[in-house]
Amino acid sequence: MYVYTCKSDYDSMLSCIYEAWASGKGHKNIKLCVEPVEQFGLFDEYIHVDADESKAEKVSSAVWHKISPQVYWEISYALLSFEEDALDIVYRLLILGFHFGPKVLDMVQYREVIRFREIRKLVSREAHSFREFLRFYCVNDNLYVAHFEPRSRVLMPVASYFTERMPSENWMIIDDTHREAIVHPKDEECYLRILTEEETKALLATEQEDYYSRLWRNYFRTMGISQRENRACQNNHFPLWMRKHVTEFRETEA
Amino acid sequence: MYTIRTGMTTEEKLEILADAAKYDVACTSSGVDRKGQKGMLGNCSAPGICHTFASDGRCISLLKILMTNHCIYDCKYCINRYSNDVPRAAFTPEEICELTIEFYKRNYIEGLFLSSGIVKSPGHTMELMCRVLYKLRTEYKFNGYIHIKAIPGVPDELIAKAGYLADRVSINMEFAVEDSLKKFAPNKNFKTIMNPMEKISDTIALHRLACGKDARMERSAGNRYLENSIFNVKRLEERGFGRKELPVSFANGDLRRSFAPAGQSTQMIIGAGNETDYELLQTTQKLYQNYDLKRVFYSAYVPLNEDSVLPAIGTPVPLLREHRLYQADWLLRYYGFQADELLTEEKPDFNEQLDPKCDWALRHLNLFPVEIMKASFELLLRVPGIGPTSAKRIVQSRRYGTLNYEQLKKMGVVLKRAHYFITCGGKMMYKVPIEEQYITKELTVVNRKENWEIVHRNQYHQMSLFDDYAIG
Ligand code: SF4
Repeated sequence: MYVYTCKSDYDSMLSCIYEAWASGKGHKNIKLCVEPVEQFGLFDEYIHVDADESKAEKVSSAVWHKISPQVYWEISYALLSFEEDALDIVYRLLILGFHFGPKVLDMVQYREVIRFREIRKLVSREAHSFREFLRFYCVNDNLYVAHFEPRSRVLMPVASYFTERMPSENWMIIDDTHREAIVHPKDEECYLRILTEEETKALLATEQEDYYSRLWRNYFRTMGISQRENRACQNNHFPLWMRKHVTEFRETEA
Repeated sequence: MYTIRTGMTTEEKLEILADAAKYDVACTSSGVDRKGQKGMLGNCSAPGICHTFASDGRCISLLKILMTNHCIYDCKYCINRYSNDVPRAAFTPEEICELTIEFYKRNYIEGLFLSSGIVKSPGHTMELMCRVLYKLRTEYKFNGYIHIKAIPGVPDELIAKAGYLADRVSINMEFAVEDSLKKFAPNKNFKTIMNPMEKISDTIALHRLACGKDARMERSAGNRYLENSIFNVKRLEERGFGRKELPVSFANGDLRRSFAPAGQSTQMIIGAGNETDYELLQTTQKLYQNYDLKRVFYSAYVPLNEDSVLPAIGTPVPLLREHRLYQADWLLRYYGFQADELLTEEKPDFNEQLDPKCDWALRHLNLFPVEIMKASFELLLRVPGIGPTSAKRIVQSRRYGTLNYEQLKKMGVVLKRAHYFITCGGKMMYKVPIEEQYITKELTVVNRKENWEIVHRNQYHQMSLFDDYAIG
């Protein structure tokens, strides 16, 4: 087996798809995977691929024009996934896509298509959950800061939702897993910032309780009807791993 | 900023007025898409957004509070009734606006759900509530979701005003039959509930037409074309719907402004009065068809008051019954069922053991098994264990090749229920007799665990809001 590996940014992954495809080694003999590789196979050959804008561009444009813009959007979303097999499944989907055209997304009799749809759905679920569960803390009266630790790289889709929601506030969303932040100055376009370790640390101090966060905790506690208590259902809907930065679940009672 | 007006802090008031509001079940922020706007705060997203889940597993999406819990009425089932000795409080309009805005900016909530006890008169109360909303929309530039619970028996102008300010308006029916309403809410009557409901419904329809939409609210796409569905397009056309002009008292409204774009909803209390499930479901269906309500909610009665006509304090909350009603409501809204297919006057209550869909299928065994590769979408939907999403997937993918049980499972078919009712490529999954008693016994076992959880562990799903839209 030839294993093509790359970094987890978008251009790297598309370049990796390009190289694997162009290698002529036969789709059956190829696997794609994002670094770091967890376990090296004894008989596999590992080939690292660097990001190359022009290769990435070629793949994008082939998918867009030869399959469909919809498939292009679907794969860009699926590539945000943290699932181990995401990159390889996207590759498999493209093989089918170039063969069958845009209807590939409906062809659930292929195992790869079902898995692709699963991955795609997991990403949008994660993004959706964080739109709901993100919590902002008010800093210096006019800046709202939110931390979260997603598994997939959903910072962009999450942040773009908040540009709709709070166009005229200063806010910042920090992805502590991937050390990136989106900064949104009031009434302006937002921008991405890769954070240094010191910055990440300094920003953690922004999670400060205030008057309204206290009111919210009380409100949250009040709303549960004790005669219908159901923690199992609560845990089902609000997974524990997503609670770390969530005001009403934090232990820091002031 | 936190002025003390009545000797009580905002914090204390919030505790009282949230506690008093929490028994109202509706908490969705769904039904309207509205883009954000520079200079304003907020947007709306049609599938609805749940921000958190309380200890009882119910979603919290809106700041659900009463403007005040002072009340001149004495509805027997209500904690805020006049004759109860409970701490009372009232918010100032500023307090409500500031709480909403500050909670919203921190992403705790999608908006405000405002209801109120009745001070002085229904009209006076409603006027105050409208003033709060007006302030919130204009002075505080709030563009998020607002749900207002309208008070029965107020002048039409106030209902109209509420509709222009809010996204959803609800008027609670509380009971499905008038006798119960009289008995438990002596100050209310059906006329003052149905009359504004009808006017709101007509007004919504006219506004929808004016902005180029269908007069009726959006429904699950599948269900509108199912022959038997309560929302079947042809059938609704025959019934006729909506008048051609605004009710006189609403008349100076501008049709291009949005009017309660997320529609109307209502709520009925389960287990306080003695209506049957049949009556409740019939009423539900009529509300959907005649008033085009977006949602009908059921609220299992939690005994809070000592009163000889009501279940005693400590009586178990009828969660399983509430769950069955929600399941049936689902069947009406997404599966093309009608109320009288599920229940009849002779058999007016749901089977505790079995969910309504299995129950129906067992009474119609002559229709089964159906062949997955051939059955119509309509019939697939009626198979226990197959939902709108999996039915759609089956229809889509069987065009490209033969399906097997493994694939059905991957498409989301719940085989432990479905396998009694289907064949795939001419074969059943296991060799089982299609025989009512046998299957009933088997399915009861499947259901039992679930039922047990609902009753004993309060397993309660307010069915996922997401499903409201994700179904196509
Ligand atoms: S009107 Fe009836 S239900 Fe509403 S607050 Fe007053 S007593 Fe309660």
